Amino acid sequence: MNGRTTSGSRRAVVWWGRLVVMTRKELIQLFRDLPIVLFLTYSFTLAILISGNGLRSQLHNASLVVYDGDRSFASRDLIHRFHQPYFRFIGELSHPDEGLRRMDRGSVMAILEIPPRFHEQLAAGEPTAIQLLVDTTNAPQGFSAAGYAGRIVAEFGQDISATRIGGSHQGLASLPIITSEHRVWYNPDQNEAWFESISALLRTITIFAILLPATAMAREKERGTVEQLLVSPLTPLQIMLPKVLAMTLVILGATAVALFGVMQPAFGVPVRGSVILLFFMTALFTFTTAGMGLFASTITRNQAQVGLLTLLVVAPMLMLSGITTPMEALPDWVNALMLLSPLRYFIEIAYGILLKGAGLDVLWSQAIAMAALGGALFGFGTWRFRRQFQ
Amino acid sequence: MSLKRVATVASKEWREMVRDRMFVLLAFLLPVLWMLVFGYGLVLDVEKIPFVVVDRDHSSLSRDYLYRFTTSRYFDFKGSLVGEAEADDWLESGKARAVIVVPEKFEERLVAGQPAAVQTLIDGTFPLRTDITKGYVIAINGAFSADLLSDHVARMQGVSRARAEILAHPIKLEIRYLYNEEVRSSWSTIPALVMFSLMLAPPLLTALGIVREKESGSIYNIYSATVGKVEYLAGKLAPYVAVSFVNAVVLWLLATLWFGVPFKGNVGLFLISALLFVLTSTGIGLLVSIMVSTQIAALIVTMVISILPTILFSGLIVPVSSLSPGAWIQAHFFPGMYFTNIVRGTFLKGVGLDVLWPDVLALALYAAALRLVGYRLFTKRPRS
Repeated sequence: MNGRTTSGSRRAVVWWGRLVVMTRKELIQLFRDLPIVLFLTYSFTLAILISGNGLRSQLHNASLVVYDGDRSFASRDLIHRFHQPYFRFIGELSHPDEGLRRMDRGSVMAILEIPPRFHEQLAAGEPTAIQLLVDTTNAPQGFSAAGYAGRIVAEFGQDISATRIGGSHQGLASLPIITSEHRVWYNPDQNEAWFESISALLRTITIFAILLPATAMAREKERGTVEQLLVSPLTPLQIMLPKVLAMTLVILGATAVALFGVMQPAFGVPVRGSVILLFFMTALFTFTTAGMGLFASTITRNQAQVGLLTLLVVAPMLMLSGITTPMEALPDWVNALMLLSPLRYFIEIAYGILLKGAGLDVLWSQAIAMAALGGALFGFGTWRFRRQFQ
Repeated sequence: MSLKRVATVASKEWREMVRDRMFVLLAFLLPVLWMLVFGYGLVLDVEKIPFVVVDRDHSSLSRDYLYRFTTSRYFDFKGSLVGEAEADDWLESGKARAVIVVPEKFEERLVAGQPAAVQTLIDGTFPLRTDITKGYVIAINGAFSADLLSDHVARMQGVSRARAEILAHPIKLEIRYLYNEEVRSSWSTIPALVMFSLMLAPPLLTALGIVREKESGSIYNIYSATVGKVEYLAGKLAPYVAVSFVNAVVLWLLATLWFGVPFKGNVGLFLISALLFVLTSTGIGLLVSIMVSTQIAALIVTMVISILPTILFSGLIVPVSSLSPGAWIQAHFFPGMYFTNIVRGTFLKGVGLDVLWPDVLALALYAAALRLVGYRLFTKRPRS
């Protein structure tokens, strides 16, 4: 009885010992490759800094030219309302057609045309119309430019009618209109650097987590060193798991550097939830995503194949999981397909913990989904691993 | 330089490539699959924003007002809440992105000719969605206010409803959308996806092809062969350029015939630019292959330098003019941006070389410079 437990615990010690040794081997192999270390460092520091600083997903500085056919006080007033951050007034046209030529060249995004007699018509209480031409080669941006312009013109019109209807001394306070009040939660100042730097971090983690274990495995196959591992006393799990463990350790370290070394000092990104939970979830995400990579490596024969296959999978994951464009608007089949993307769950989790201060009580369903996906991928990968050599 | 030797290297490379069936299959399949998945799946319009309401007024006017949100295609009604306290849960879990709170005495105030404030709580984690949600709310509020105001004016001043509308809304904004009249987001994404595919796949194919020889050691055959540097590089790259150019043509056919995106420009100009772009992106692969010595490193480096800038800085989603100065400069160092201008220009705008020459020139310079640098850095006699 006593002897059996001792031999059982000894076996456990040996099992874990092998795991540690193999993980160390993977780490050594990884850090020996200088370009990888350099690009890993770059991706988790400088690249995140650049994304946080430079990217603005909202419409900014839409270049606007104006053809002012009236040149009156009212038309000036209206033009002045088209200002930054949404519009950037870059000049006035002497002829309406000139704007179209500049739009062809791409130097102008919107053209505002104010008709002659604009001021006169307004003063006389006659209806008047102004025209906006918008470049919609980038459809969503063109659409939001038109939306902002609509808002500006509506406000201008409202101001004019308010003085006319309500009498100037009373203004808007005496009119039956709905005033919009907005309270933005979690990021009240709409600091885009928060969003952009977090999504850059998530993208980077995804790429490294899927690619490195997959290619490390494919390399063993390509060079034939996997045969050595197969004849060793290691089980398939002991061969595959260390590759993931090594990568998880590296990614957790790099994430800590990115979060506390770049994103907090440079952009003041808050960590409102539990840091421990965040890192635990990052480890789970890395594990799941690495499982995808390992699975890919068991159905391919060499590193070139696995490289193309992971690229095939990674691009839709990055584009459709909800950081490039909100999930809600995507077609149902994309939403269904993305149930298989661990990034989709991790996005909710990461933003939830960092910005919303959410805990497991809110995020449990995403965490379970991710763990189940990871378990399935890993189990299937381990099963395929043996089979592929038979 | 002998063309025969170039042809020999190229045919060797080609044979090696086609021997790996799965590699060839993936090389041709990758752009097509992406085009289909993104062409149908990547919808950039923000619609169906999930929202809940807190109606404190429970009047017929407040129901009329909220009806405008529930029937809008931009919003997706998820339910009514009793109080604001519940709103927290909905926003925190992400089940709703906005909460609309109608105040008490909403109807009473408006009927009495006084303004009423409607508060919207918005999830601010995704600034683009927040901003667009705000815009939609303002638009719906504006339209509802306009109707209220017209009624009010008609009643107070005793004029007809049509006259009251003019008084309440003196200016009409007529919007004309150019190049993409129906503002279909697929028309702007699909041409840009041609750029996306040609920017990501060719560098990877090239870098892997060359580094594979380095890693397996078969490159020593080249080191000791009579073939010269230029001949080797030209021959080595030729199959990858060819595959990528065929992909460019296939993508063009998919975009125009399958997705029905109009192509208003000159096909010749498009093809020449596509060739220049493919030469550029394979050139990036060449450069990577010189820097690294393992395929893992080749994969990581190409992915990092191609996939992220392509999503972020190429104008695919965020227009280059919206970038901050630092990122704007970075975008100009990145060839994707120039080709995005060319594809959108030739597909949607129908402009020619007179407008696009700076972009074409930039790509030509890029292709030439990358080859030159690759040639200088590649040594047939490695130090170690």
